[in-house]
Amino acid sequence: MPRQKNDILQGTLALLVLKCIDAQERMHGYAITSHIQRVSADLLRVEEGSLYPALHRMEQDGWLRAEWGTTEKKRDAKFYTITALGRKQLALEEESWARLRDGVARVLRYA
Amino acid sequence: MSVLSWWSRLRNHLRSNALSRDIDREIRFHLDERTDDLVASGMRPGDARREARRRFGNLGLQAEHTRETDLFAWMDVLIRDVRYSIRSLRSAPAFTIVAILSLGLGIGANTAIFSIINAVMLKSLPVSHPEELIRVTRGQQTSTKPPSEWNGVLTNPLWEQIRDRQDIFSGAFAFGGADFNLAAGGEARRVSGNWVSGEFFSTLGVRAAMGRTIVRADDYRGCPGVAVLSGAFWRGEYGADPNIVGKTVSLDGHPLSIVGVTDSRFFGVEVGERPQLYVPLCAQTIFEGPNALDRRSSWYLQIVARPKAGLTPEQMTARLATLAPAIVESTIPPNWPTEAIDSYRHTRFGVAPAEKGFSDLRTTYGKALYILMVIVGLVLAVACANVANLLLARATARQREMAVRLAIGASRGRLARQLITESLLLSLAGAALGGGIATYGSKMLVGLLSNRARAVQLDLHVDPTVLLFTTAVATITGILFGLVPAWRVGRTDPQAAMKSQGHGVAEGHSRFRAGKALVAGQVALSLVLIAGAGLLVGSWYRLATVDPGFRRDGILLVQANIRALHTPDDQRVGVFAQILDRLRAVPGVRSASVSLLTPVGSMTWNDALKVEGFTPKSGDDALSWSNAVSDGFFSTMGVPLLSGRDFDTRDGATAGRVAIVSEAMARKFFGSPAVVGRRFQVEQGNSWTPPIEIVGVVGDTKYQSLRDSAQSIVYYPQNQQEAESERRQFQLRVDGSPLAIAPAVKAIFAEFNPSITLDLKTLDRQLSDSTTLVRAIALLSGFFGALALLLASIGLYGIMAYNVARRRNEIGVRIALGAEYGRVVRMVLGEVSRIVVVGVVIGIALSAGTTRLVKTFLYGLTPMDPFTLGAAASVLVVVGLCAAAIPAWRAARMDPVAALREE
Repeated sequence: MPRQKNDILQGTLALLVLKCIDAQERMHGYAITSHIQRVSADLLRVEEGSLYPALHRMEQDGWLRAEWGTTEKKRDAKFYTITALGRKQLALEEESWARLRDGVARVLRYA
Repeated sequence: MSVLSWWSRLRNHLRSNALSRDIDREIRFHLDERTDDLVASGMRPGDARREARRRFGNLGLQAEHTRETDLFAWMDVLIRDVRYSIRSLRSAPAFTIVAILSLGLGIGANTAIFSIINAVMLKSLPVSHPEELIRVTRGQQTSTKPPSEWNGVLTNPLWEQIRDRQDIFSGAFAFGGADFNLAAGGEARRVSGNWVSGEFFSTLGVRAAMGRTIVRADDYRGCPGVAVLSGAFWRGEYGADPNIVGKTVSLDGHPLSIVGVTDSRFFGVEVGERPQLYVPLCAQTIFEGPNALDRRSSWYLQIVARPKAGLTPEQMTARLATLAPAIVESTIPPNWPTEAIDSYRHTRFGVAPAEKGFSDLRTTYGKALYILMVIVGLVLAVACANVANLLLARATARQREMAVRLAIGASRGRLARQLITESLLLSLAGAALGGGIATYGSKMLVGLLSNRARAVQLDLHVDPTVLLFTTAVATITGILFGLVPAWRVGRTDPQAAMKSQGHGVAEGHSRFRAGKALVAGQVALSLVLIAGAGLLVGSWYRLATVDPGFRRDGILLVQANIRALHTPDDQRVGVFAQILDRLRAVPGVRSASVSLLTPVGSMTWNDALKVEGFTPKSGDDALSWSNAVSDGFFSTMGVPLLSGRDFDTRDGATAGRVAIVSEAMARKFFGSPAVVGRRFQVEQGNSWTPPIEIVGVVGDTKYQSLRDSAQSIVYYPQNQQEAESERRQFQLRVDGSPLAIAPAVKAIFAEFNPSITLDLKTLDRQLSDSTTLVRAIALLSGFFGALALLLASIGLYGIMAYNVARRRNEIGVRIALGAEYGRVVRMVLGEVSRIVVVGVVIGIALSAGTTRLVKTFLYGLTPMDPFTLGAAASVLVVVGLCAAAIPAWRAARMDPVAALREE
């Protein structure tokens, strides 16, 4: 699969997904991709093929809970909500992201 | 891989159907939404759908990723392991090549032998529902053996009785082997076939590929006879002629109409034989005279049946037991001695499974095949030991690599898995090579088991059983030789290993001990193989060079059949005598004779004798071999006339009956070799012949087999024997090569009558054909023994080279301190000797248990023949010392300064 310029940095997909779902409470997969793209002002684009494996993994790890529901257009969709464990994970990921960002920023500034 | 992840993978797998529906729905939803958005932004619906799919990537692949995340991760690691292994094996090409070659030879040999065992003993017949088939067996009421082990050969009258009386089979047929001659005269062109009853094809469920098969309506008394060809015969003999049906085939000079060709996959019900054509049983009267179907003591048919549903073997045997008395009573052979008829009355019938067909290959070659399987199993063990040893040496060399990987956090399990992957990769490569070797090897082997008299033909197509066998062997060997190094990784102490700087001092010693044990084991197994090979090759040599009591070279045997001449019984001897006179006049023929049988041929003849003053210990004890011969037989064959005279013109059909006997006959029945003028009688039905006078005594010869000891043989003048047979054997002693006069001999017969059929071969060939099986296993065991020896010497060389390298410093110090050249060499060789001696001692102990297996194939040697064992042990010691010579020489030539400087 050809790499896209604005691929999400590896390891941050979980962070973004958890954050979105935490903010929106209940989302389906498609909404997550469009949400990230919109909120990031098209800077970030979720590789669709890797989103679902990630969602599936997070569901298995107990970070997300999934249930089938109906959208406004009367389509069946799988809706994800965040669990307490997921919130804990989100906090951890946010923290490690902050560290990474600071670290990278420092290197860029002082190296 | 943790227990937990195994569990979740298993759970994923179990749930996979529900899960996959779930994921498919989710992805479909995603694509629908994306398509809608794209359409809203102005795209045409079809394009939008395609674009949505394109953005999602490969649908199937993604679904797979999502579904099997755990499995995927596992596969990913596996692929990485495999890639890493390939890289690491490539970086050591010499090691990889030696390892794959050793394994390839070992696995190839095992697969080759196994595929033959599979074809002979394990495969089901290629017919419909072979598992239902049973065969009818015949035994004595008092027999203690189970009916499934009884003899299965019956007469045609018995078959007709069973066919007409039985009510337990939904289908049953009889068949018997037949040997036809395609040539109308001159040298015979033999083709094997089957006599089959009308139900043969319908019971087996075999269809015709062209025309029709033989049906019940073809098989009736007085039938004109038809022929069904096998697919192979149709292609080979008739070039797959599409208009074959309706043509005729001439068998023994009788034209039969061809009605069809069988399915090519069907090769008959006898494994190892390939009947080329099938002829209805009733047609035997055309070939063998009007009473051919009523011969009550002509045993050649076997019965196969499909039982009615639900019947157990016990129920069938019980039913057959109630039918037996009536069946037996109506088929009592006339002219049998009273006791024989009494015993015949107690005949009972039973059933035995016939799923795998019939094969006397199983009895003839079964034991040989299992012995070969044991031999190749041992060779594979030696090969495994070699590879394990190589891997051990490599593990020592890679100790630092492993230590580094351990130190940076690889788990021991992970490393062990890596090593096992490497071993399995090696063994799979070996299996691939072995598969190739086996394809040729098994064909070569079948060739070795065949001779002119008997062509063994087997279906050797690779089938699932063989594939499964090879894969299992490869996997087991891979794990076996991979376990040792993997286990050692588990014990590696990274710190010690890193400190040792690759010299392997700390670990080296235990590795060396393990290596020495492996090599000693190789030596032991090689000794068993070499000793076994020595015994078999020795037996074959003895058989090939044994004095048979007659001269084996320079004699051409000509079997002539005058059936097509329709000569009346009482004139046959005269015809043969005329032919003999003409043959004696052929230039280059020094002497010639004619006889009913030839020694070590396929036929034998024995009779019970009555001699005054001799009381037989049993019925069999009164038996003596017999033959009917012309004058000049003994001088042509080179059998010495010890006393008395040869047959001559005095011994005509009307003269007093005379005989010449072997010395062993004289000693056995008369207790003395001086028996000229004495008389004996021969059993004939229920009575005895008039007294027969002995006119000569000749030297002992082999009769049935080269393994015979001195045999009691009675020779009758052929003029005084009823000429039941239309076949005779001519012996021609010639100057130079016997086959060189074959054209002249054929011309004589053609001139006499072109419809006489002939089979020509040398006496030497007839004798060597009788030792085919022994020769085959002697050659094979010799070959495998040499292979094991080669592998063991590679092992010995490897371990000593390694040992010298390991002790470089120590040897350097010794040389620096003044140790002489000879001393260093002795030190290294001494070490090898210890390994070899331990191996040899274990090997001799093992031989004591294993060489007994080949006892039935030995001739003139005991399984523990001290000379053979001693020779095998010496060979191993010499080869061992040779293998160690290079490292020893290298050690002695070592420059002490260079060796010490390395420290």
